[in-house]
Amino acid sequence: MRDYPAPFARWLAGVSLLLLVELGAVLSFVLGVANDLLRLTLGTAPLSGAVSTSQSLPTLISRDLVPNRGYYTGEEWAGTFLGLEPKYAWLIRVALVVVYGAVWCGWLWFGYITFRRHYRVADWTPTDDIIDRLRSHQWGKFGMVIVALFLLLALFAPVVSPTTMEQNIQDPYSNQIQYFSEETGEVQTTTAGAANRQSTSVGSVARNVGPWEYDNFNRFHPFGTLPSGKDLFTFLAYGARISLFIGVSSMLGAGALAMSFAMISSFYKGAVDLALVVTSDSIQALPVLMILILAAVVFSNTWIATVYNGALLFIALFTLIYWPYLWRAIRGPSFQVAEEEWIDAAKNYGQHPAQIMRKHMAPYIVGYMLIYASLTLGGVIISVAGLSFLGLGITPPTPEWGRAISVGQPYVASASWHISLIPGFLITLVVTAFNAMGDGIRDAVDPQSAEGDEATAAAAGGGGA
Amino acid sequence: MAKWNYFLRRLLLSIPVLILGTTVAFLIIRAGPIDPAAAILGPSGDPTEYEQLRESLGLNDPLWDQYLDYMWNLFTFNLGQSWVISPGDGAYELIASYAPRTLWLGFWSILIPLFIGIPLGFYAGLNPNTLSDYFASFGGIVWRAMPNFWLAIILVSVLSQSEKLFGFEWATFLVETNIVTPPPLGFLGDPLSLITAPGETWPVVLGATKQILPAALVLGSASMGNEMRIGRTAVLETVNSKYVETARAKGMSRRNIVWKHIFRNAMIPLVPVITGEAFLLIGGSVLVEVVFGINGIGYLFFQSAIQGDLPLVSSLLFVFILTLVVLNIIQDLLYTVLDPRVGFEDQ
Repeated sequence: MRDYPAPFARWLAGVSLLLLVELGAVLSFVLGVANDLLRLTLGTAPLSGAVSTSQSLPTLISRDLVPNRGYYTGEEWAGTFLGLEPKYAWLIRVALVVVYGAVWCGWLWFGYITFRRHYRVADWTPTDDIIDRLRSHQWGKFGMVIVALFLLLALFAPVVSPTTMEQNIQDPYSNQIQYFSEETGEVQTTTAGAANRQSTSVGSVARNVGPWEYDNFNRFHPFGTLPSGKDLFTFLAYGARISLFIGVSSMLGAGALAMSFAMISSFYKGAVDLALVVTSDSIQALPVLMILILAAVVFSNTWIATVYNGALLFIALFTLIYWPYLWRAIRGPSFQVAEEEWIDAAKNYGQHPAQIMRKHMAPYIVGYMLIYASLTLGGVIISVAGLSFLGLGITPPTPEWGRAISVGQPYVASASWHISLIPGFLITLVVTAFNAMGDGIRDAVDPQSAEGDEATAAAAGGGGA
Repeated sequence: MAKWNYFLRRLLLSIPVLILGTTVAFLIIRAGPIDPAAAILGPSGDPTEYEQLRESLGLNDPLWDQYLDYMWNLFTFNLGQSWVISPGDGAYELIASYAPRTLWLGFWSILIPLFIGIPLGFYAGLNPNTLSDYFASFGGIVWRAMPNFWLAIILVSVLSQSEKLFGFEWATFLVETNIVTPPPLGFLGDPLSLITAPGETWPVVLGATKQILPAALVLGSASMGNEMRIGRTAVLETVNSKYVETARAKGMSRRNIVWKHIFRNAMIPLVPVITGEAFLLIGGSVLVEVVFGINGIGYLFFQSAIQGDLPLVSSLLFVFILTLVVLNIIQDLLYTVLDPRVGFEDQ
């Protein structure tokens, strides 16, 4: 790379340009996470000042670039982007976010091509075949596109939602909005909370703000409103954040445990393997959903249930409950690789076991890990939604998809059908997409494998939620 | 003999599994942050009563003694009693009165997927890459991805408004039933009445079945998708195997090939899926029972957990763990009997 820096520099320049566009958001996110971690470990928050400074940094793709909040004076829209109708302004903003995400994906792909053409020593590696197979797997690509959109929804929740979380959901009575009153014929000011109270969706046609409709205060609701009058799209966008955060973190945790245990058990075999078999069998003999319910109740009033609105508790639980399922799934492949001659050779050269596992076994197993982690992630999302449907886990008013389904339950067969149906459709779509992605990765990593073996079947069920 | 050695090994392994699983339950309940006595009495409990309760639950003993006591009680099937849900009633009585509804639900939710999922999967496997195959496969995938509790809500609303939506009323269809109520299962206690008084009992059976069907359909949804997918793959693999080709070459009729050679072999990979279903049923019955208002054992567990009846919770949890371990043993037994390769793979 030092000998021939031009292509890499070109790619890096593109990355920094893409990052620069979102500088404020990226910095405030990174600093915010660091700040929260410090608060947990040290008890103080030394970075709070930096966080608020970073929030004031310019961010190109933000609500301010394309404002969609305004009022209709009878002749024209005031306050919105170019005087457009709020729904078009909102659509433009969403489109911008999608384009930004697509450019990122394209640029990452370009980076991989650059690496392959200029810096990789080998002309061909097995990874190339895997990627080629993945590229021609339509079903897997469908899954990846939906997963990417879901990621964008979660990451850009403040930008893509038609109103802000703070104004609409957390603190509606401290935030004011302007609207045009037809009775008096002039612009008036009210609190978001008061406006919400008149935009409720409670079943009857007269008291309902459905999908793709405006309420009486000229506010646009792409998915309609909740029975409390809050905007459903904003609720779901922020809910996507917490679902995704729990899903990805617990899969990282469970995956790391499963990977290391699989390598250890296949490397040492014998008693170590037997101990792990017994431990994982014991955990698998626990009814997942019931243990989750019990743990959510038992830990409900402790400090761990307050960290990130209860998400940390779930991450810990899912990590502890799901690693045996992942471990079982990759135990076979990992025993296979432990039998290979190159492992024997490395042993005879006197390489350290940890190094053998990391360098010679892990690259082979990680592909299998991705398959099952992707399939299990859908199950985690369903379980979290199921628990918040029961009123356990994520503490209100933090948005969670299961809670939207729960509050919409009385209105399913009425004019306000959207409250329960839309979140349910989204969960189904996202879970299907994660499963499709897992299928695609499996066919790419291991083309000979039969689809739908036992481990897959158990993983995708989400513990029966 | 390698087969039976394998089975014996699995049987022995299930003992530490049972002990460890129960230990986890003990740790959550007794060593966790909640004081079971305080949970039973609630915030307004009076101190002397609290001390008495702690004494009678054995909470003042050292944790190690508590653990031994707890394990001894459970493993001698001394399951204790309820303190909050129905104070004074023994765990056995409660289980006996709640479990039949869950078993009835479980029975149907295993049966429905068997008779819908497997035929659909086999059909798709026999006609691969046709429009109906894509339709069935895609339907199976989406069906599996739907959250059970959401499906249950939709089904309840649609059925309760079926008159308005389809011009057909589910509630009065065949026999008159409610949608969100537990099924009447009195006939299970007196099975002879099916023969002695058929005129009165059979309509009740019909009603109980009709009431449980929507819930069973929801609870079996994930298994149905799984069975379809695996059935499809199994048939596809068998169709392309050499012995089917041979059978075709010697001029066997298609009907004979399909029924005799394909279906029977394609059933083998489905065995673990079917026994595995029971796992999902035990865990998943909570949400479905809550939505459909069936006061079965999952509902009992949920209520006792949120109302702080921790002694009952631990007994129920032990029963669930025991059931799952026994199911595992049954699955291993089936494997041992059915699959000649068992016990030789690991060597």
